[in-house]
Amino acid sequence: MSAATDDGRRAMIAKRWGRGILITLFSALLVIYVAGPVAWLVSSSLQSEADITAVPPNWLPPKVTFGNFEAIFSTKTREVTYETRRQGDPATGSFLPSGAENLLPALWNSFTVGMWVAILNLVVSITAAYAIAVIHFKGRQAALYTILVTRVIPDIALIVPLFLVMRNLDLVNTRFALIVTYLAVTVPFTIFILISYFEQIPRDLYRAARADGCSHVQALRHVYLPLSLPALVASVMFAFLTSWNEFIFALILTQNITSQTLPIVISGFVMDFTTSFSFVNAAGVIAIVPPVVLAMMFERYIVSGLTAGAVKG
Amino acid sequence: MATSMLERLGRQFGYDERSAALLVLPVFAVLMVVAVYPIIYSFYTSLFDIVLTRPWRRPFVGFGNYARIFADPLFWTAVQRTTVYTVVTVSITTVMALFVALLLNEAFPGRRLLSALILLPWATPSIVNGLMWKWIYDPGYGLLNGILVQLGLLEKYIVWLGDPDKTLFMIANAAIWKQMPLAAILLLVSMKSISNDLYRAATVDGANVFQRFLHVTLPALKPGLMLVLVYETMISIRHFDLFLIMTQGGPGDASYTLSWQIYVETFRNLKFGIGAALSYVLALATFILSYLFIRGFGSKA
Repeated sequence: MSAATDDGRRAMIAKRWGRGILITLFSALLVIYVAGPVAWLVSSSLQSEADITAVPPNWLPPKVTFGNFEAIFSTKTREVTYETRRQGDPATGSFLPSGAENLLPALWNSFTVGMWVAILNLVVSITAAYAIAVIHFKGRQAALYTILVTRVIPDIALIVPLFLVMRNLDLVNTRFALIVTYLAVTVPFTIFILISYFEQIPRDLYRAARADGCSHVQALRHVYLPLSLPALVASVMFAFLTSWNEFIFALILTQNITSQTLPIVISGFVMDFTTSFSFVNAAGVIAIVPPVVLAMMFERYIVSGLTAGAVKG
Repeated sequence: MATSMLERLGRQFGYDERSAALLVLPVFAVLMVVAVYPIIYSFYTSLFDIVLTRPWRRPFVGFGNYARIFADPLFWTAVQRTTVYTVVTVSITTVMALFVALLLNEAFPGRRLLSALILLPWATPSIVNGLMWKWIYDPGYGLLNGILVQLGLLEKYIVWLGDPDKTLFMIANAAIWKQMPLAAILLLVSMKSISNDLYRAATVDGANVFQRFLHVTLPALKPGLMLVLVYETMISIRHFDLFLIMTQGGPGDASYTLSWQIYVETFRNLKFGIGAALSYVLALATFILSYLFIRGFGSKA
């Protein structure tokens, strides 16, 4: 009898240990796969050109240098010529790509475009989502499907006609063209998220508000918006991150410094074979910081907001 | 009394319809300009032989562009590359996401940190994703060669992206890295909605871990899995950025996908008519595929 319970206890302990080991192992593998590449990107952005080309590679910078970042933030103020550059130092130019001075304006462009998209996306999506989720009007199914179907079409299929439209409106090389275009990407998804969220809000609240004489706009403002804060935050994040990330539309619609966004300028560096990888990586780190900070800060909202109702089936 | 109520109802109905129309209007105005009009225009363009190097002559060719596409062996190469790439990316992403979701569904110290950490790839812009992996794959100074040689798994450095047999898979890995987190989160959310009673009942019935996964977890995950499969397929089929940054369709035609072909025909060869027709084929294929996915999984769930 006691031998049996001993065996049972031993089996339990073995099982708990096994589970612990398995979880630790999987977690470690996951951390390495997910964070490893980014860690190496950051590590190499802090290395000099000589260290970055070492074989075997330096996992950690032997000597931390901020030269690459310095180069990015001082391209405007310091002119690098053949005479003033130091060989092998990306910061003073021998590996500095020709478009390096576009990086800061691009950062600003990315930022303003992202903010505008986040705001406008929310404004247009809220009203439409409210109408479709709450008001039982004729054709709401049709409206919903029309909105969702626009997202099935690959971006690359929209690019030529969009380019022609923007050219005819004389909007090529403006941030406005990008803002309007990105709305096409973010709005259908945002509406989908907001609808699932609005539908979870008890209908009695809506009935009560309407019985009290609230108009639809008032019901939206006083009942639905306060109750869907997570979804609203998630939508803002999503819209900002999407436009920060977007590449193909920006590639075709913008060709100069007044409107090009960060991904376009960086891709120019990557395809320029003479560019130092440590410099490119520094640019990559700069492009990664805002979205990653936002994602980590609003992790809770993003996860709950983006997935609310989406997987109910 | 009765008439006034009817009147009120009637007025109410009218107000609803009018408000709904007004509230939906802005979205439709935006989508008209940036989605509906372009897609119609794209079809219209695809019926003409438009080449930007001779803009003065754009003869109407009907479905001639489509005929030319289907007769082009390079198109079928692109179809094949796209299929391989999509199947590899979607299946590995889904399986990995399933494992990650199972892990994050367990209670253990550090779980919250881990679930915040997996947002890292999701938040990384795809251009940075491409340059990062290109740097890791670098034949001379890359981390991948470095690690494998240091571990003794590899004798000499390999040109990862320069080997036609490997290119597509190397790009797929970069794509999986970025796409897996969102898929894992979606699966995790549907996992969390499974009632614990089901597991307890299964345990009482003597089901082991694998049986519980097979008979309780998996069936309940069906809607989530469908969403992940549809979403990931859409994303993979239309992938473009990684191909531009990492291989430009090469080496040879090893990573010559449909999206890449559209880009080349339109913006390098300046054949807007062919480009539009190709876009239309891709859009139609995507549409049919997602419809089939939803129908296929929806009926079983």
